[in-house]
Parts: sequence; C-alpha cells; structure tokens
Amino acid sequence: MTPTVLYHCPCLSSDPIPPPPNAPSSSYQFHPLHELFFCEECDAVRCNRCVSVEVSGYYCPNCLFEVPSASVRAEKNRCARNCFMCPCCRNTLSVVPSDPSDADDGRLLTGGLGVVGEPPFFLYCNYCRWDSAEVDVTFEKPTGLAAQLQRFEDSAPDSLEFERLKEHFEPFLRASSSSGHPQATHSHPAHINPITAAASSALARDIPGVVKYTPAPRGRRDKGPRDELSEYRSRVEVAGTKDTSNVDFVRRLEEVSQVAALSQRWTSSWTTPLRSSDLRPSRIPLRSKKTKRCSTCRHILIKPEQKAQSVRFKIKLVAANYLPAMSIAFPSPDLARQRAAGSRQTAAEDTSGASGLQAGGTYPFQLALTNPLYDPIKVRLKAEPQVPPPSFTAPAGGSPEKAKRPPFVVRLPRPESEIPVAAFAEAWEYEDDEDMFGGDDDELGLERERGGGGGKGKGIGVIERRANVTVVGGEVVIGRDAKGSIKFNMLVSYTYRSDDPLADEEFTFYTVVDLGVIIPRVGVESITSD
Amino acid sequence: MQTPIYYPKAEFIETDTGNKVSRRATISGPQNIILGGKTIISNGAIIRGDLKRAGPGHAVVISLGRYCLVGEGCVMRPPYKTYRGTFNYYPMKIGDFVHIGANTVVEAATVGNHVEIGKNCVIGKFTIIKDCAKIADNTIIPPNTVIPALTLFSGSPGHFIEDLPESTQEVVEARTKSYYTRFQAVER
Repeated sequence: MTPTVLYHCPCLSSDPIPPPPNAPSSSYQFHPLHELFFCEECDAVRCNRCVSVEVSGYYCPNCLFEVPSASVRAEKNRCARNCFMCPCCRNTLSVVPSDPSDADDGRLLTGGLGVVGEPPFFLYCNYCRWDSAEVDVTFEKPTGLAAQLQRFEDSAPDSLEFERLKEHFEPFLRASSSSGHPQATHSHPAHINPITAAASSALARDIPGVVKYTPAPRGRRDKGPRDELSEYRSRVEVAGTKDTSNVDFVRRLEEVSQVAALSQRWTSSWTTPLRSSDLRPSRIPLRSKKTKRCSTCRHILIKPEQKAQSVRFKIKLVAANYLPAMSIAFPSPDLARQRAAGSRQTAAEDTSGASGLQAGGTYPFQLALTNPLYDPIKVRLKAEPQVPPPSFTAPAGGSPEKAKRPPFVVRLPRPESEIPVAAFAEAWEYEDDEDMFGGDDDELGLERERGGGGGKGKGIGVIERRANVTVVGGEVVIGRDAKGSIKFNMLVSYTYRSDDPLADEEFTFYTVVDLGVIIPRVGVESITSD
Repeated sequence: MQTPIYYPKAEFIETDTGNKVSRRATISGPQNIILGGKTIISNGAIIRGDLKRAGPGHAVVISLGRYCLVGEGCVMRPPYKTYRGTFNYYPMKIGDFVHIGANTVVEAATVGNHVEIGKNCVIGKFTIIKDCAKIADNTIIPPNTVIPALTLFSGSPGHFIEDLPESTQEVVEARTKSYYTRFQAVER
C-alpha cells in the first residue's frame, strides 16, 4: 500500500482538533486534498459534507439532452426522449422491430439507430436479453415511446391517487404561501419547498407535542386556512385482498429470482411489484449538475458551466489551489535497480515500502510539499504525539503498561523550523513537458541514497528543493511490540504573503498520515502470547 | 519522489513525438492508427487498425491522443455493425490523458479526455465515454452505453456509482503526465 496523506475538514465544528487517527470517526473527517473546497471568504476548508448543494441543471445520462427545469416536473424527473432502463439489470434498452427475418444477432446489430422493420416494436436489453414483449409492452411505431410509456405510468392507480392528493392540498398551499411567512422562508431557504411545508404543518396539527417547523407567529396559526380543508377521500378503498395473492405467490415460489430485488423495485416509478415478471421498463431518471456553496457565508464554491457535458466550471474554488499538496514515499533505490535488471516492465505501485514496515525497525521517509500559490510559502510541520491506543483497542494479550507505550515515534523537522517552498510558476509546467526529468532523476536517485544511508536523525530536514516542490525527510521508529497501522495526525501551518505587505498570513490545518501496516515480529509475538 | 518505472530500452520503440510502443504489442494496420504523442502502448497489447471501413484508401481507424496508456494485454478493436444490410467497421477515437488498464477490451466509439479505464474491463461496442469519466476495475459496459462526464461506473453491467470530484481533470492530467515521465528506458 502506498502511504497516504489526507486533509482534515472540521465541517463547521467548533472544535478544530481532529479525533485521534485510530478513532472510527477519524476516517469521516479526513479527505483527499482534491475532494476539498476552499472558501476564501471564511478562509476555511470545506468538504462535500459541509457545503450546501443546489441543482444548476438537469440532463439525461443516456441521450445527454439538457432538460429545461420547467419540463422536468411535467416529465416526472425522467427522460422524455427514447431512453429506457431495463427493469432487470438497469442497463439501457434499445428499440427493436419484431422483424421475423432478424435473428438474435440482428437485434443486437440494429441497436436503436434508424430502425427499419415491422411493427410491433419492443424494447430489448443488450445485456440480460430481457425484452418488453414479456410484459406486454409493445409499440406500433418506434417514435415517441416515452410519451406512450408516461401515459401508461400516469394511469397507474398510485399516480392518480397522488395527483388527487396534490389537487386536494393545492388551495391550502396557495393560501398558506400567500399569507406567507416571509421571514421564516428567509431564514430557512433550503426548506421552502411546499411539500416540506405541508408535511411539517400536518405533523404539527396531528401530534400535539411537535412544534410546527416554520417559526410562524402564534396568533396567525389559529386564523390559518388549514381548518377549512375538506376531508380527503381516496379513490379506492384499501382492501386486504392484495396480501392473500402475495402469500399465494410466495407459496408457489420456486426460485429467488422470481421475487423482484429491492434494487429493481425502487427504480420503478410508481408501482413496485413483488414479482420480477411484473417489472416494467421505466424511463431513465434524469441527473443534475450541482452548484456548491459554502454553508456559512453562502458564497459559491463550485459553479458548473451550463452545458451538461462540459467539465469546466465558471467558479471552482478547490483546496488544491490553496493548500500545499503533500505526498509521502519510502525511498527504495535498491529495489528500483533490481527492477531495472529484470526484463519485464513492471508497475510502480508495489515499489513503495515493498520491504514492509517491520516492528522494531527505523524507516526514513520523504515528504514532498508542493506549493500551488504564486508566492513562496514557509511550512511548519508538527506530528501529533502518538497517544497510546485506548484500552478498548489494546490487544487482549498485552499487559497494560505495554499498551501505554506508543507503538511508534515519528521524527520530523522540528516544529519551529520553517521549510521554504518556492512559488508556483507556469514555466515549470512546460519544463515538465520538455523532459527535464532525465537529468533530474539521477539527482533524485543520489538524494535518495543519501537520505536512506544516513543514520539516525541525519535524513531529517530538507532533502531537496526544486521548482515549487520541497522534499523533507523524516523517519519513523517502530516499537518492538508494535502492531496495527502507522497513522498519525500532523499539524501543518504555512505562512504566505498577504495583501498587507507588512504581515504574512498564516493558515493551519490538520492532516492524517497513513504510512502502512506494521508487520509484527513473529518470534516476539509467539513469546508474548504464551 | 516519483519512483521510476524502468523498462529495457530494446523492448520499446520510441517515436519522434515521444510515443513508446512495445515491440511485443500487436499493431495491425499501423497506417490507420494515429498516436498523439507521449502515448505508451504496453507489452501484449493488440490494436486492430486493419479493421477499417470497406472501400479503398486509408482511413483513420483508431486515433489516440497525448499521454495515453494502453495497458498490458489490452485489445483495442473498432466497433462494427450491420446498417441497412451492409456490415461495416466504424472508427474509434480516444482523447488525451486516457489510461486503459491491463487486459481490458475496448470497442468504444468515442472516449473523451482525462478518462480512466480500469483493469479487466470490457467496454462494449459503440460506447461513448465523456470527459473525466472513470470505469472501475472489472467493469462490463454493455454495447451502446453512454457514460456522462465526471461519473464513476462500476459493476456488471456497469452502473453509475458516484460523481467524481470537480478537480478530476487536474488530478488525471498530473497522474498521466507523471506516469509518462516515470516510464524510463534503461540500457542493458
């Protein structure tokens, strides 16, 4: 496993100190750098969990058509063109004619495009060979299938019931929104949708203990039009007949696959049939592009371009453009040389730390800091002292005093010492292209040997500086009886030049470094367990 | 910091534009194949440039962009179909910064830029993969599938799993470039 460095996002928590690296909550608070955002206004890191998300546009994932939001509702969030999903495997279906001359092979080849053939047409899955003729869904002509299918969906009893319910509540909603609580909607912009409002007021009415969600003035509530609502009568009386048929079905069940799996049922639009033979093709659900905002200051962090398939963004404030990138590796020059001697070209993934981290050993590592800013920065690193694992994680066999000793010690350049990292300049990007690595790598090899060959404490400090990268050496000393993984929190602070020419600004964040799993010493292990 | 990946110099042919093509790869119909530059074709890969549209003369069958990697044992074969009674092959276009893992079979029509395809995948005929998409290892993409931009697909058949981070483009670009620089020849 390659060593990783993950970055901490406090997620608006008041306590900026992350949990110890071995705590289960730790993995939820640390993210790879490229998944984080940075709010300039708040001067803070934001992650996908603590940004507020808005839909900026809808598109069909199959035909990539951008659906205007006005028609999204009418089309019930599904594609209104010729995109259908197989009810069995969720693959895209293609329209095929029931041409008798076409064999199985022919079906595969005609795949959707310019179908010429005899009606009736049906939908066919290229993957699991399901076809819609099995459930009596056939079409006279190969166009406008979505409309036909939607008509079918809309005539489902559940859908009609829902429409009626909506109609029933519509006057009430309109009245309540016009009598409105402007200040309430302002303070909760995320919850202004009418269904939430209706649900919360219904809940407040039915259950005395529940406070109505919208903090409306007390006096107004009594006068509200809510009481004028007439009683709702459902279209059909719910009777218990359905259950017996299901029992019957289950009794005659021969194979598990006859029952529709949960994943097959919940993609279905209205009816969620129990039998897999009742599953019907559905139109493909739309997907959306999202705008992301900082949840504290409401500034936009991510704003995609309008075009659905564009990967560019109008606004993109990602942490990688603000925080220094860090990567960690174990130097292994000998190994690389061995590899070169071998005739086969091999993957690089297994070279790092290939020898493994043996308990009782000392391993130097290299930490590369890359500056994304156009100004030079000074970085200070501080590894959090290794807290002995709490009693519940301590091995059952280990005696208490043994568990108290930290399993490993990390040595980094002293926290006071500032590590300079040069500014980023576009020119280096081009140099990258122009093969500067030929010469550079020899140098790298030398450095590596020096770092690796140096005794205790020698390899600690700045090893190499090139372009906007500074490589820092550190080492980890693993205890004799240590086990588990080498994971520690590291506090990183860096100073950068601010708009104010006199004072430099400082930014501090936590990271968690995972160097890998300790290989226990087998001999010691057997003795202690006795 | 970057661990180099060494290969014996005699094993690969390096072109003027920095493409590195293994001598152990099977390149059929090389006159119909375009490599954008700094693209690596690994050992055992099979690229079928000979499967071209019926008719005389040259036609571009497979084009790969810059900084691509065709993994070991990959098969790149242009898609085919019978349209109005005539059987034909159709060209395959692959963008820049595309990595294809080992032992994957690709019959896609279009693969965008910054796409990562894992190991042991099957990319069905006429699949369209948009920019910055990612296909996980061991995924089967059925024919005619469309994979939208910035999404991760996995499974058999391949399904949408999650949206990829907004900075995928930069991450993939840096990774593919660094792979190329790490891929170095050694004299023996």
